[in-house]
Amino acid sequence: MKPRIKFFSAIIFLLIIVLIWTAAACRRGDKQSTGSGTRTYKVAVIPKGTTHEFWKAVHAGAVKAGQELGVEIFWKGPQKEDDRAQQITVVEDFISRRVDGIVLAPLDDRALMRPVDEAMREGIPVVIMDSNLQGDNYISFVATDNYQGGVLAARRLAEVLGGKGKIFLIRYLEGSASTTFREQGFLETITREYPGIELLVKDQFAGTTTESAYQLTENLLSRYPQVEGIFAPNESSTFGALRALQHFGLAGKVKLVGFDSSVKLIQALENNEIQGLALQDPMKMGYLAVKVLLDHIQGRPVEKRIDTGVTMATPENMNRPEIRSLLEPDFARYVR
Amino acid sequence: MKIAGSGLKKIAGLAGPFVGLILVITIFSLMPEVSDRFLNLANIKSVATQSVIVALCALGMTLIIVSGGIDLSAASNLALSCVLVAYAINLGVPPLLAALVGVAAGGTIGFLNGFLITRLRLVPFIVTLGMMGIARGLAKWVARNQKIDAPLSWLNELMVRTPKPSWLLVSPGIWLMVLFSLVMAVLLRKTVFGRHAFAVGSNELTARLCGVRTDRVKVSVYTISGLLCGLAGVMEFSRLTVGDPTVAMGLELDIIAAVVIGGGSLSGGEGSILGTLVGVFIMAFLRNGCTMMGWPNYFQEIIIGAIIIAAVTLDRLRHRQE
Repeated sequence: MKPRIKFFSAIIFLLIIVLIWTAAACRRGDKQSTGSGTRTYKVAVIPKGTTHEFWKAVHAGAVKAGQELGVEIFWKGPQKEDDRAQQITVVEDFISRRVDGIVLAPLDDRALMRPVDEAMREGIPVVIMDSNLQGDNYISFVATDNYQGGVLAARRLAEVLGGKGKIFLIRYLEGSASTTFREQGFLETITREYPGIELLVKDQFAGTTTESAYQLTENLLSRYPQVEGIFAPNESSTFGALRALQHFGLAGKVKLVGFDSSVKLIQALENNEIQGLALQDPMKMGYLAVKVLLDHIQGRPVEKRIDTGVTMATPENMNRPEIRSLLEPDFARYVR
Repeated sequence: MKIAGSGLKKIAGLAGPFVGLILVITIFSLMPEVSDRFLNLANIKSVATQSVIVALCALGMTLIIVSGGIDLSAASNLALSCVLVAYAINLGVPPLLAALVGVAAGGTIGFLNGFLITRLRLVPFIVTLGMMGIARGLAKWVARNQKIDAPLSWLNELMVRTPKPSWLLVSPGIWLMVLFSLVMAVLLRKTVFGRHAFAVGSNELTARLCGVRTDRVKVSVYTISGLLCGLAGVMEFSRLTVGDPTVAMGLELDIIAAVVIGGGSLSGGEGSILGTLVGVFIMAFLRNGCTMMGWPNYFQEIIIGAIIIAAVTLDRLRHRQE
C-alpha cells in the first residue's frame, strides 16, 4: 500500500478509536457516581422503541429504580422502531453480555418467545412488561390492567351522563390486544351496571391514525345526531373523536372519555371538552419491572402478574399533583 | 476491464476493510466491561447468526453492484418471501416446499427487476425503487397488514444459536452463508458469467461490442440476487417464527453499505465476495459491541456512517494513485 493511504487510514481509524474511548470514559464516569459499595447488578431494559413519550417515561422509571436500588440500567431498544428482528438481536446480545437480568417489552407475543426461553435457560431472569408474551417462561409480567381501564372509563362516562343516555363505543384496531381489553371492560361494565345507557355504536374501528378516527367520528355524528357520550380507547382515537366534536361544535356538549394523554388532550381536559382520561403509569411500569427483577435475583418471591394501575383524570381532579404527574410525567429528572 | 494481473492490487484493496474489522474487534475486546464476553465463542456464534440474513442479500448485491447496477428492492423482497413462507405453511404446505416458495418468489422479483431494466431501458435505481414499494405492498397484502403466525417446524431451527444435532457446531444458517459465499466467489471470479458481469459493470458498451450479451447477463444477475434475497427471507422467517411484512425495513441500505465498505464501487466493475463479508461483519460486530456496552443507538448509527465514508474515501484515494 502507498504511504499516503496508510497515513489517511491511520488518521481515520485513530479518530474512531478516540471517539469510542471518550464515550466509554464518559459512561464509566456516570457509573462511578451511581455505584454503591456492594456489587451493582447489571440489568438490560429493552423497550419497543425509544422515541415515543411513553417509552421515555418507562425509561425514567427504570433509571429511578436503578438509582434507588443500586442497579446499573442498560436501556436499549431496537434500532428501528417496531422492528421485531432487531429486538431479537438486542436480547441475544445481552445474553452474550451475561447481564444479571432482562426487562423486555416484547414487540411480538410470539417472535420474542425463543430469545426469552434462551435467556431463561442460560440463567438470565426475564421480566416482561407492557405487552404479553405467549407461554409463561418468564419471572413476572408487569403491565397496565387494560380491562380495569375500560371499567373505569365506563363508570366515568355513566357518571357524567347521570346514568342514562345514548353513546358510541369507538374501537381502535382489530387484533390490538391492549385496546381490545379496554373496549371489553367498557362494554361489559356499561351493559351490566347501567341499563339506562344505550350503545348506538359498538363495532366500528377507528384505525391507527388520528385522521381515520376523525373521519369515523364525523360519519357517526352525522348518522346519529342524538348521541350524548363517546368512549375512545387510546390516544389517537380520543384525539380524532375530539377533533370531530370540535368540528361539529359539539365539544363539551357530547361527553367524551378517552385513554392516555398528550398536550392537546390535556388542553381539552382543561377546557372541559373531555370529561375523563384513563391514564396508565409508564414510569411506575419501568420502576416496578426493575424492582421485581431485582427481588427475584436476590431470592425474594415475586408475583407472576403485577398491575401498574389505571387512574381517571377529570377536569376536577387534574390539578392535583398526583394526577398532574401522570398527565405529564416528570421524566426530565431521570433521562434527557 | 482490469482483471488479469490484479491479484496484488486486490489484496491491497481488501486490506482496508480487514484493518477495519480487526480494529472493531480489537477495540471491543479491550473494553474492560465486556472484554471477557466479546471474544467469547458463544458471542461470535451469535454475531455470525445475526449476520446470515444481511450476508445472503449482500452476496447478491455484490454481483449486482459489480455489474454496474443497484437493487433497492432487496429488503422488501426478503420481507415478501418471509411472509409467503408463513402463509404457505399455514396452508398446510410441507416446510421444505414453503421454503422453496419463498426462494422462488425472491427469484421472480429479481427476474422482474432484470427484465424491466433491460426491456424498458430504465436505470436500475428507478426500477428497483418501484419494485421496493411493489414487493413491500404485496407482502402486506398477503399478510393482510398483520404478522402471520405459523406453527413451528424444523424451518425454525435453521437460525438457532445452538443447533439441534450438536455436531453441526453452528446453526445451519451459518453453513448456508458459508456455502453460498463460496459458490458466489467461484461464480464471480472463475466463470465466464462472472467475467461478463465485471465487463458489463466496467464498460457496458465495450462489453457489448466484444460480443457479451449484456441484457442476458443483467437479467441473470438480478435473478440470482433475487433468489438469494428469497433465501434470506426464509432465514428471517426461521428467526422470527412469524411472517412479518414490516421486517427489514431499510435493510437495503445496510446491504449496500456492506458491499461498499468491502470495496464495491457503485460505478460498477469492482467488488469482491470476501470484501463484502468483511463489510457485513464490521457492521454486525459494531452493533453487537455497542449493544453489549449499552451504548445508545444513535451512537452506533454515527459510527457506521463514519465507517462508510472512511471506507469509500480510502477506496477513492487508492484509485487516484493508480
